[in-house]
Amino acid sequence: MTVQKDRERNETKHLHKFADFTEKRVLEIGCGEGRLTWQYAKETRVTFATDLDPDALRVATIDRPADLESRVYFSLAKSEQLPFSKETFDLAILAWSF
Amino acid sequence: MVHALDEIRRVLVPNGILIDLRPTLDHWPIEVASAREIRETGRMLDFPLGLADDEAANQSIADAEHKGWFIREQEEFFPFFYSWDSPSELEEWIATEWHEFTGLDDRTKQATRSIWASADADARVRVKVKMLITRWRVAAQNLKAVSQS
Repeated sequence: MTVQKDRERNETKHLHKFADFTEKRVLEIGCGEGRLTWQYAKETRVTFATDLDPDALRVATIDRPADLESRVYFSLAKSEQLPFSKETFDLAILAWSF
Repeated sequence: MVHALDEIRRVLVPNGILIDLRPTLDHWPIEVASAREIRETGRMLDFPLGLADDEAANQSIADAEHKGWFIREQEEFFPFFYSWDSPSELEEWIATEWHEFTGLDDRTKQATRSIWASADADARVRVKVKMLITRWRVAAQNLKAVSQS
């Protein structure tokens, strides 16, 4: 069973229409395997992406492109208890979180 | 989710931006799409648990706005397509991944299989998910309260 998500790249287009990622410090909550993260992270100064699923985070870390190793970090964290100091980020993405 | 929004507000700088990106149930259309044509074969069923999740998310956002934590700046719906090579793959995905909040009735399954079988060789089956994207800005009136906490 192979599923393809957003072949039309509508999500990426809208994400960039709604936010300027250039040199921003970005927090993504609910990153899963990093599908969305790879659509913007190259433009950021730094990206911290969190999820509750350790298996998904493992995949995201393995898939992380070499040129993003010093710019994109993944961590296991609850959105209600974020392990960051106040006023750390310029921009946050609440991704597919119900 | 209200607690999550409070946490997000805490870690964002003054005038920081929150992008909320999520699917919303709305009897998502099923389509058979090829390079030549797109045909709708039916609609997904919205289950109570999925609708309750949507309502809870909407309520949390409304609460955060009411508390003055965030200011809504921009909002839009857009389609997000999940695509499969065949109707059986679509049905398997729904049964394993989406069964708690959405489903397909037999009539739509049959219509999808029938239309796909007679479609062009490049035809795929897809679900048109309704996505909501909203840009929020941390409200200035709360910055003082946050800095004192």
